[in-house]
Amino acid sequence: MELSVEYIRIAAYLGAGISVGLGAITTGIGSGIIAGEGAYGVMKQPQANDQLFRTMLIGQAAAQTAGIFALVISMLLIYGGFDIAEGGWYRAAALLSAGLAMGIGALGPSLGAGYSGGEACKSVARMPKHGNAIMGNMLIGQALSQTSAIFALVVSLLLLYSVPNQPAGLAIGKILLKSISLIGAGMVIGIGTIGPGAGIGYVAGKANDMIGRFPKERSMIMRTMFLGAAVSESTAIYSLVVAFLLIFAV
Amino acid sequence: MDNITLAQGIVKAAALLGAGMCMGMGALGPGIGEGFVAGKACEGIARSPENASLITRTMLVGQAVSESTGIYSLVIALLLIFST
Repeated sequence: MELSVEYIRIAAYLGAGISVGLGAITTGIGSGIIAGEGAYGVMKQPQANDQLFRTMLIGQAAAQTAGIFALVISMLLIYGGFDIAEGGWYRAAALLSAGLAMGIGALGPSLGAGYSGGEACKSVARMPKHGNAIMGNMLIGQALSQTSAIFALVVSLLLLYSVPNQPAGLAIGKILLKSISLIGAGMVIGIGTIGPGAGIGYVAGKANDMIGRFPKERSMIMRTMFLGAAVSESTAIYSLVVAFLLIFAV
Repeated sequence: MDNITLAQGIVKAAALLGAGMCMGMGALGPGIGEGFVAGKACEGIARSPENASLITRTMLVGQAVSESTGIYSLVIALLLIFST
């Protein structure tokens, strides 16, 4: 069953729109939470203004990461030159799936990074003299929650660059099976990272809050945060494994 | 746009649909986020009006950063509309 190049372009353009559209939702909400808590913190502690401002900007930059990943995938889908007719249905499914993976995959991590940064701003406003310890923990927590966004980026790039062209003369059932499993790969990593990304952000946010309140227990709090984040991350890793299986083993 | 084949028409339609979804969904998050910032800033200014200028500055810079994903969506939507 032959496929003209136009159908591959349809998939690429829809994927590009979905990727940056979905990716922008929680990136905007997350950065907004950080800025809101930052502005509120300035009211509580006007003399810690500089420190709060720094924490807010660094936190927002880290929360934007997943949105920037989504932008990169969109640009690649539009201008990457993937729309060649030899790709067939496999290529069309892979391009749509790459957009879905990065768009949905950005939802959880940005929300988590936003919550973590918001709690850090609150905490710095409460205890400005522990600002550096809180900001360090905020960055580590945001990096942990962005790990799942990096999983989604890896799967998107694999879908763009390592899906083979559709061989000639295949039965329609085989083509359908492989194409649907490629779309499934994008959806599994996208949906599967919502929970871990948001959950790790919650862990990191609470840790920031508590490091501000009990700075002496910092090492204990950070240890618990790492343990909890690792356990939360496990389902994202399961999703990554299933996505790899769907791309390479079906 | 008059002499195009059915397939080219569908590609253009897909690009326009993608542009609409992109800007529509992409406006959700920045809108909510910036509204939260402005709400907190109003609360802050009401409680300590003497720091109004500092709070307003923080609010505006924070909103500018939140806006960036909305701008990404706008860029992708315009690209999908005009350069496909």
